[in-house]
This record gives sequence, structure tokens and C-alpha cells, in this order.
Amino acid sequence: MAIEVLIFYLLAGVAIAAAAGVVLARNPVHSAVSLVLSFVNVAAIYVMLRAEFLAVAQIIVYTGAIIVLVLFVLMLVQQQDLPEFHGGRPLRRAVGFLLGLALLAEVAAAILTRSLRGAPGSWPPEAVAAVGGNIQAIGRELYSAYMLPIQATALLLLAATVGALFLARPELIEERLAVARRLFTISLAHPRGVDPLRPVAELPAPHDSELKPAGGDRALVMARSAEEFTEQPAWGEIRR
Amino acid sequence: MTELTTAHFLFLSAALFIIGMVGVLTRRNVLIIFMCVELMLNAVNVSFIGFAWEQNALTGQIFALFVIAVAAAEAVIGLGIVMALSRRLDTVDIDEVRQLRE
Repeated sequence: MAIEVLIFYLLAGVAIAAAAGVVLARNPVHSAVSLVLSFVNVAAIYVMLRAEFLAVAQIIVYTGAIIVLVLFVLMLVQQQDLPEFHGGRPLRRAVGFLLGLALLAEVAAAILTRSLRGAPGSWPPEAVAAVGGNIQAIGRELYSAYMLPIQATALLLLAATVGALFLARPELIEERLAVARRLFTISLAHPRGVDPLRPVAELPAPHDSELKPAGGDRALVMARSAEEFTEQPAWGEIRR
Repeated sequence: MTELTTAHFLFLSAALFIIGMVGVLTRRNVLIIFMCVELMLNAVNVSFIGFAWEQNALTGQIFALFVIAVAAAEAVIGLGIVMALSRRLDTVDIDEVRQLRE
């Protein structure tokens, strides 16, 4: 049995060291990589606890999805030099450590004096093996006794998706219009630069002189982008 | 101790949770704080699964599954807020975000 305990200490030690690395690292990218290491070690501990499905789910969801998302945001968000953990705010750091130590002492006392034990559950290892394994057992339990929560989770994920789309929109109405103009303006002969949200009836009707220059000489308007064309510098010259 | 007990896993869970808590309390970069919150959620999962292992039950594992799902939703919304924050205030420093306080 000693080898099992040894493996646990190894995994737990690396998980805790990597978790400390998340807090202590200067560079946020190093923090994210430390977090991956911690999650993978915790997933290995899940396997020791006969929770194989959760170990795989942990790796897929946390390291596969959440950390990738975090790294993308790290790339997109402008990073400035913050006075990080190692410098500035010594009072706050001391208070944080003291609170952590106090909580650790409390939790350790609670764990060591724990006497309350629940009734043994209905899924001993033999029962789990009888239905085919951990994932089969979880599926049976999840889709019988936890039907409503699993549907609520689906709704929650949908709401989170819609919320993320809403949060990711450009902040200002002008930016949104600019994006719309860039994306949805396709006509070559259309008077661009009108506000797409204004009703068509309000748009000024093109004057004859705008469409046909009085002098009879035609001009070709070259624009590198929709915005440039919007300001119509060339039209003004023709009108003159 | 020569045999694994639930206390081993509970201590691991407590250590991870407290490291995450210290990170939330001491760091100022909102992305690091976000990662520390994920760490704390993960520590709670270790407790759930440790208890499920002790009791020969699946309830703890199913709760951990729900925690993972909620953590994924929280990650999406949290990172969306970080993006909106950096676009609006041009900072990821949590101390600069005090519009509701003033």
C-alpha cells in the first residue's frame, strides 16, 4: 500500500507547487501554464479516487477549453506593467497570508476532528463494475435522479453563450456602425456613407449635378476603404 | 500513515483552496484573480470526489461534474467581462476598477 501513498504525495506535491506558481509568477502566461500543470495533477488524483470520467472531463474542459480561452484573452488584452505580487502593497500581502494561514488552521482542525460519517452510498466498486464502469454508472445516475439539474445546466450554458456574445460587442454605437458599414456595403454605385440605421426616406436624394458633373467630364473616384469613401472628398471636387 | 484516507484528499483540497484564496486577495491582475478562482473551484471538486470515494457514492462525482459545467460558464462570462473592461478602461488592474464605488 505504501506505493499508493507515495504516488499521492508526489501528485499532490506537484499540484500544490504548481498552484503556488500561479500566484507567485510575474508573467500571467507562466501562471496559466502552472495552472495547467496543477489541473493535470489533480486529474491524476481523480483517477486514484476512482473518478475516471471526471479526470478526463477535467482535462478536456479545464486545460482544453478554459486555459486556451485564458491564453487568448491574455493575448488580446493589453498588458501593462503592474506592480505585481513581489512589489507594492505589503500590508495587503501580509493580510492575505495571515487570512490564508488562519483558514488553513481552522480547516486542519476540522479535518482532524471530523467524526461525522454519512451512510455508505449505493455504488461500491463492485456495483460500478457491474454496470460497465465509472462513466456508465455516472450516466445512469445523472439521467435518472439528476434530470432537472442537467437540463438547467444546458440552459445555463446557453445563457452564458448569449451573454458572452453580448459582452463581446463593440462598446460604442459608432464602432458597431463602422463594422456594419465595412461588412455590409457591397454596392459599387451606391452613395455610401449614409447611416445604415436611418430610414431610407430621410436620405437626401442625389442631385442631378452630383450624378452627372456639369462640365461633362467624368471622374473616377478611387477609395481604399469604405470609410474614406464615406467622407466623399472626391464628390465635393466634382460638384465644384 | 501507510494508507490513503479521506483526510489526505481533504488536506490537498484545503491547500489548493487556500492558495487560490491568497491569490485572489493579493494579486491585482484580474486575469490572475480569475485563474485563482478556477483553482478554488477545482479544490472543491477534490473534496467532493474524495467524499464520494469514502462513501462509495456517486453523488459527489455528479456534483463535481456540475461544478465543472458552471465553471465553464463562469469562465466564458468572466473573460467576456475582462475583455469589456480592458476595452472600456484600458486596464487589467483590479484597483483601477472602482466606478461603482465612487
